Formats: sequence, structure tokens, C-alpha cells
Amino acid sequence: MNLPSVSNSTKASEIAVSVRGLGLTYTTSIERRPTIKARAKSLGRGTKHTRVIRALNDVNLDVEYGQVLGVIGSNGAGKSSMMRVIAGIIPPTEGRIEVFGSVSTLLALGVGFNPSMSGRDNVLLGGLAAGMTRDQIEDHFQDIADFSELGDAIDAPMRTYSSGMYSRLAFSVAATVRPDILIVDEALSTGDAKFKEKSLNRIKELRSDERALIIVSHAMGTLRELCNDIAWLNKGVLVQRGEPNATIDAYQDFLQVKRSAASDEDV
Amino acid sequence: MSASIQTPTQVYVPFRAGLPPLIGYWKTLWSRKTFIAEYSRSELRDKHFDSFFGQLWLILNPLLLSGVYFLLVVIIRGSSDSARYVHLTATLFLFYLISNSLTGGVKAVTSGQRLILNTAFPRIMLPISAVVVALFRFFPTIIVFLVIRTILGVSFSWQMFWAIPVLLIAIILSLGLAITISCINVYFRDIASFLPYLTRTILYLSPVLYEASSLSPKMLKFEILNPLFPILDSWSRVLVHGQAPETSSMLIALTWAVIIFLVGSYIFLSREREFAVRL
Repeated sequence: MNLPSVSNSTKASEIAVSVRGLGLTYTTSIERRPTIKARAKSLGRGTKHTRVIRALNDVNLDVEYGQVLGVIGSNGAGKSSMMRVIAGIIPPTEGRIEVFGSVSTLLALGVGFNPSMSGRDNVLLGGLAAGMTRDQIEDHFQDIADFSELGDAIDAPMRTYSSGMYSRLAFSVAATVRPDILIVDEALSTGDAKFKEKSLNRIKELRSDERALIIVSHAMGTLRELCNDIAWLNKGVLVQRGEPNATIDAYQDFLQVKRSAASDEDV
Repeated sequence: MSASIQTPTQVYVPFRAGLPPLIGYWKTLWSRKTFIAEYSRSELRDKHFDSFFGQLWLILNPLLLSGVYFLLVVIIRGSSDSARYVHLTATLFLFYLISNSLTGGVKAVTSGQRLILNTAFPRIMLPISAVVVALFRFFPTIIVFLVIRTILGVSFSWQMFWAIPVLLIAIILSLGLAITISCINVYFRDIASFLPYLTRTILYLSPVLYEASSLSPKMLKFEILNPLFPILDSWSRVLVHGQAPETSSMLIALTWAVIIFLVGSYIFLSREREFAVRL
């Protein structure tokens, strides 16, 4: 458990995030919108009004500074949940997470908080909520606006944005702030080819010994190119962790097996 | 960076029902006070209250409201005088501070969904911001009230400064109500549709359309259950009649406000770590 104090001999092996025995159980409402009416109905019928979802189960994971960790897995494997726990948005049900440094999650600065406000206001509000000062945000703002290539649209209400513009702005915010630990969740595959390449290049720029990157993505080619480590989650369990090509190959083999089994059933 | 390596900057451990460490919570909340200011500003700007006609509306709206209610009082009672109108405007404007906090607070958490799902911050900032918005909408009405009061020739008195503690109590109550209802709305989304009926009922139970002194002693006994009653009664005493408020009603008002604030904050703080999952 004393990993941090043991492993600070070299810069490259400094721990950024330590996840120990992480378990996460959600209690969510069965109704899409929990209401008194629905609660009264379920009471009357004697049915349950919530269900319990086991999202993560005993996950152990260390991320070191200098590492670019790709997180892969099927939909619902618990990837996003794990990112939210590391970012401190959802408390774990079991285990302990230690974070050594400032974390920025992509989409994080809560861009798109209020759709009727302009992109500029949303960036400012999101940044303030994340604990930045107004000066810090204003220092970065020009970079964010330039990188996102939104032009005048930055002052238009966010409800007028296309989904591409939306994710461009979100990516620009997260990538411009330059945190110690950057978590990018499913955001690399948005935008057009040009912006995709631009954001890939930005991620490459951000790779350094002083920074840890955690990237959740389904784009295996990108991950092979970017990461020096891959964690594969399946149904809330960490299946494999290690060298990118080997882990991705194993994951793809696993998917292939599942797919052929499914297609067999179809016949 | 090597200094921070020895000790984690953040440790996340399982969530248990109960309060987060309050001192740490307060510190993070205080460090984000610009968010609250900025949020309220953009919220007001969003409703165009930064333009001339927007601000005019801020003043016109309460004036029209008080006019409508005055008409109601005149019709029901057959006649009315200027003192009653002054009482009506004074209490109605303060009532709208509290009721705007409720209507702003009810969706404060649920409409902040995106932010909550993506950022770690003290969630209580959202209902607090709603109250700040309501306060910004309240201040112009004070000026309107003072103008009306002067025009109708009601004399000023030093006792009117009692309005400050009364307003403070009203703000504590507003905070408590906004925090409570924003939390309830996470679990029961239809509370927002009940809210108009709730505020309307409270309005009629409170000394706005009538004065507290005109109530029968039997009714007055029950009014101890209405947290707004002593506040609005003292407010009217102080601002309309220029008298010092009764100590007993000030104490009842303060007790109600503090209890609602503490209970609401307790529920909110012990629940807020679950919001991200519930939205």
C-alpha cells in the first residue's frame, strides 16, 4: 500500500494515479425520470424503484508520470465510470484512489453547461467550477478559441453548435489547460479528419515525463500509435494490462471470438 | 512536482452516508466563489437583464404584480388605502425573493447535469447561485418600493434599519429552501411541477394580501408553522410602519431559517456525492 513512497526513485516512475481494489456499484432509478408519481406506482405494485449496477469490480491500476495509458473495452465495460472515479466525480464503493497532481478530464471543464449561453461563457463557467481562477482561464482563452477554430461562433449560444463544434471546443479546453494528469474520454474520434489529426498531434505534444495521459477510445489504430501502455476492461474487471500491441491484439481476438459466436447463433 | 509526490493531492475513498469534511468543503467552496458570481451574471444576461428594457422589466414585473394583487384586495374588501398598498408591495417583493429562490433552486442541480458529470466541485454552489440570482432580481425592487413609499407620503424612521437583519434572515431561509428543493428534485423530478401550487399556497398563508394584525388569534396560532410568516410580518412592521420588529417573531423567524438551512444543507451535503449517478 505504500507504493508512492517506494517508487519515486526516478522521474519516469513517479506514480500519478494509484487505484487499489476499486469497486463501484451504482444504484440508479429504473424510471428514466424519477418522480413521486413513479415512486407511488412502484410502491403500489410492490416493485422496486431502483436497480443496482456493478460497474467496476476490484480494479487495481497504477498510472505513472510519463505514461500514456489507453483504456479499451466494449461498451458498458466501466471505462467511463473508472475515469469519473479517478477525476473525483463519483466516489468509489470500495477501494482507494490516490491522485498525485492536478487532473483535467476532457469534456471536463463542463463545456456545454448551459446551452443558451455562449461558448465563451461556458468555458469560463466550466473553468471556474473546476477551480481555476478567472485570470488563468483568460490567459488560456485565446489559445482555446484558436485551437477550436470556431471563429465568431465562440460567442454564439452553444445550442446553435453542431456536435462537431461542440466536441472541438471541449477538446480545446482540456488540451489547452495542460494539467498533470489528462483524461481523454472518447473525444479523439470526433470532428472532421483535419481536426482529428490536429487533436492527435496535440496529444502527442502533451506526452511528456511530467504528465500522465489516460485515453479512453475505440480507435485501436490511434491507441497503438499514441500509447505506451494499454488497460483492457471487460464488464468491470481489468482483464489485461501491458504492452499496447499485445493487449490490443488480445482484445481484438476476444471480440472476434464473440462476433463469430454471435454470427453462428444467427445461422 | 516532487513535493506533491510524497502525499497524494487527492484521495478518494468509499462514500458513506454523512457529511464530507466540512472545513475542506468550505475551503473548496470559498475558492470557487467567482463561479457563483459569474454564474449569476451570465444567468441574468441570459434573460437579457443586462439590457435597458430587461432591467426595466425587472422593475415593471413586480410593479404589475403588486398592481394586480392590489386590485384583488380592493375588489374583495370593497375599498383600500395607500398604507395597504405600501404593505402589499413591501411584502410581495420580499416574498418574491424567497419564491424566486425556490423556483430557481429547484432545477439548479438537475440542469447542471453536464457540469456535474464532468467536473468535481462542491455541488452546493448551484443552489447558492440560484439564490444569488434571486437576490440580484430583488435589489431593484427595493428601490421601487422606496420610491412608492415616498410618493405615497409614508414617513421614514430610523427603525427601518431593522430591515437589514430581517433581510438576512430571509436570505438564510431562501438558501435553505433552495438547497433542500434542488436536492429533492434529483430524486423526485415532478416536484418542479408542484412548486407553483406550493408557492401560491404559501403566498396566501403569509401576510402579503392582508396584514398579520387582521388575522384572528386562532389563525395566528397556526401561523407559527409558516416559516415566512414572521419574516414578512416583521418586514412590514419595519418598512411600512417604521416600528421595531417584535423580538418573538424575529426569534421564530431566525429559528425557522436556521433549522431549514441546516437540515437542507445536511441532506444536500450527505447526498451530493451521489448526484452524478442519479442524474
